[in-house]
Amino acid sequence: MSTVDTSTSPGAGSGVRAGEARRTPGLVPVAETLETTERHARPETPTPPVPSARERWAFWRLLGSELGLTFRRPRNLAMLAVIACVPVIIGVTLRIVGGQGGMGGIIADVAGNSLMLTFFALSFLVLLMMPVAVTVVAGDSVAGEAGAGTLRYLLAAPAGRTRLLLVKYLNAAIYAYAVTAVVALSALLTGLVLFPAGPVTLLSGTTITMAEGLLRILIAVGYVGAGMAALAAIGLALSTFTEVSIGAIAGTIVLVIVCQVLRAIPELDSITPYLLPTWFTNFDAVLRAPVDFGALREGLVAFGAYIALFGSIAWARFSGKDITS
Amino acid sequence: MRRGTFVRWGVPIATAAVIGAAIGAGPVIAAVSGEPVLPERTPQQLLADAAAATGKDGGLPPMSGTVQQTASLGLPALPQTGVESPLSLLSGSHEVKVWYGAHDKLRVAMPTQMNETNLILNGGQAWYYDSSSNTATKLTIKGEAGKQHRLPTPQPTDVTPQQVAERLLANVDQHTAVRVINNAEVAGRPAYQLVVAPKDPGSLVQEIRIALDGENYVPLQVQVYAKGSAEPAFQLGFTQVTFTPPAPENFTFTPPAGTKVEERTLGLDAAGQQAEQRAEHAKDVADQLKVVGDGWTSVAVVPFSPSDLAPAPTPATGSADAHDPFGGGGSDPSALLDSVLKSATPVSGTWGSGKLIKTKLVTALVTDDGRLLVGAVTPEEIIEAAGTK
Repeated sequence: MSTVDTSTSPGAGSGVRAGEARRTPGLVPVAETLETTERHARPETPTPPVPSARERWAFWRLLGSELGLTFRRPRNLAMLAVIACVPVIIGVTLRIVGGQGGMGGIIADVAGNSLMLTFFALSFLVLLMMPVAVTVVAGDSVAGEAGAGTLRYLLAAPAGRTRLLLVKYLNAAIYAYAVTAVVALSALLTGLVLFPAGPVTLLSGTTITMAEGLLRILIAVGYVGAGMAALAAIGLALSTFTEVSIGAIAGTIVLVIVCQVLRAIPELDSITPYLLPTWFTNFDAVLRAPVDFGALREGLVAFGAYIALFGSIAWARFSGKDITS
Repeated sequence: MRRGTFVRWGVPIATAAVIGAAIGAGPVIAAVSGEPVLPERTPQQLLADAAAATGKDGGLPPMSGTVQQTASLGLPALPQTGVESPLSLLSGSHEVKVWYGAHDKLRVAMPTQMNETNLILNGGQAWYYDSSSNTATKLTIKGEAGKQHRLPTPQPTDVTPQQVAERLLANVDQHTAVRVINNAEVAGRPAYQLVVAPKDPGSLVQEIRIALDGENYVPLQVQVYAKGSAEPAFQLGFTQVTFTPPAPENFTFTPPAGTKVEERTLGLDAAGQQAEQRAEHAKDVADQLKVVGDGWTSVAVVPFSPSDLAPAPTPATGSADAHDPFGGGGSDPSALLDSVLKSATPVSGTWGSGKLIKTKLVTALVTDDGRLLVGAVTPEEIIEAAGTK
C-alpha cells in the first residue's frame, strides 16, 4: 500500500502498513502466502493479543484506502462525469424534440413525466457505457497494482491474499453502484428540471404516485448496480491473469460487446439467458403493475451465479499466483 | 504444479458444477423423483374432465400465471416484421402473462423490452393498451357480452392452453387414437398427459400431448409433435401458474393522463369485427373450398393465385385445418408468401406442376393451374390430392 500511496495519494493509512511490512520486498513465495491465508482461517493468529477486532479494523481500513484511491483517481472521476452528462444530453434533446409532438412510446412517457427519464437513461447506458466504466476499475484492480509493481508490497503486509482480493472486489462493486447512482441522480435532476413532475404512468398503463415512483427508481438502481457488480467480478477475474491492466479491461469489454452481438442474432435465442448482459435490462420489471418480482429475482440469481463463479476463479488464480512484481 | 493448485482450482470448478446443476436441476429432479403419482384415469374420463374444466358452464377456476409459446415449425426464414405481429409467433419463443378472474374478467399482458401490451377484459368492456404507441382503445361490447363467438378457425385470442385444448378436444373422432401416458410435472404441478394421435400414417402430426392439471383438470400445456422429431414443433403452456384469484386491480383500467384514447363499440366480443369478417371470408372461401380426404389427413383445395393475396388472412391456412392451433393468417401474408415461395420446391405430375412448401407440420402446394392445397400431411399425400380434381 505504501508505494501506491506515495504515487497517488500520500498519507492514507500508509503509516500502519509500512510498520507491518516486515518482509523483504521481492518474490513472495506461494507457500508462505498460503500459510498467511490459513493463519487467518484458524483462530490462532500470529498476533494473539488483539486478533479479530484488529483484523476487522485493518480490513475496513484497507477498503477505505482503496476507495479513497479509486474515487480520487482522475480517470475514474472523469468517467463518472461523462456518464452524468449523458442523461442531461438525452433530457435536453427530448425536451427540444418532444415539444413537436407526434412522439410515441417511451419518448412520450419521458416527456410526460420527470421520473421516466431515469429509466430511459438507465436502459440506454446499461448496454455499454456503464459496463465500460465499471470494467475500467475492476480490470485495473489487480493487474494495475501488478503492472505498477506495487502488488508485492500490498501482499507483504500480513493481510492475506483472500482478504486483499475481497477488498479489491468490494471496491469495484461500490464503484459499480456509484456509477449507477450517478446515472439515476443525474437523470432524476434533469427530469425534474425539464419535465413536469407528478404521478407516474407505468408500462402497464397504471398510474402510481411520485413517492412510489421514486421507490421504484431505488429498486431499479439496486438491481442495475447488482448487475454491474456481477460484471466487476468478471473484470476482477481477468485482472488476476495479467499484469497489463488494459488487457483485462479490453478483455472484459470485448466480452460484453460479444454478448450484445450474440443477443442480437435471433437464431441464438436459446443461449441468451446464459449471457450476463441479457439480465441488465430486466429492471424494467419495476415499471409493470404488479411489479414483476419474478423477473428481478431471476436476474439477481444470474448475477449471483456470475459473482460466485468469477469470484472463485479470481480467488483460485490469485491465491496461487507467483507475485513477481 | 504445486500440491495446492488442484485444491484451489477445485473451488471454481465446484462452483461451476453447482451452477450447472442448478440450471439443469429441473429436468434432473423430475427424472430422479419420478413421475408424480395421481389417481388412475382412463382417457375417456380425462376427456370428460377436460371438457368439463374448459367448458363455459363449469367455468375455469380463477388463476394467474405465465404462458410460454414456443414454435419451431421449420419454416423458411420469415421476413422481419414488427415485434407484435402475429407472424412473429410462428418462430421462436414468446411469453405472456395471464390473469384470469372469471369468464368475463381477464387480463393478458405481453411484456417486451421497456414496453408492454395489455388486453383487459372486465364485464362488458375491454381495454387494449399499448405502451409503445401510448394508445388506449376502449372496446365496448354489446349483446353477447363475454360469450365467446364460436368459429371454426383458431383465433388470435387463443393465448391460453385452455382455449387451444378445447378446440383440439372438440375434434376427437374416429380418426384419432386417444391414450394416457405417464404423468408429468408442468409449471410445478403434477399433471396427467393425454395424447391424441392421428391414426392415418399420412399425417405429419405424430401426436398432440395435452397436460391436464392433476387436481382440477385444467389444461396446462399443449404440445404438438411432428413426425420424426423428438422436440415439439409447437408448444403452448404455463411456465408458472397459481390457482388463486388475482388481485382485482388487474381488471380495472383507467387510461393514464396523456394517453390517446380511442373508443370502439363492437357488436360481438373483443375479437369482434375482425372475427366476423373472418367468418364471412371463411364462408366465401368455403363455397369454393373442396376438401380431399377426411380427418387428420384432409387436404383443403382452394382456388388461388399469388396475385389475389391483397386482403388479409390467407384463406386456406385459416379454414383448412382446424387441428392446427396456430392457423390464423398473419397481418402481412404477401410478404410472408413471397419469401416462402422463393424456397419452395417445384414438383410436377400428371395433374400439372406446382410448388411445394414443406414445414414440419404443414405441407402446402401451389399449383400452376391456380389451386392451393394445404394440409398437415406428407408431400406424397398432397400430390396425390392434387391429382383428384
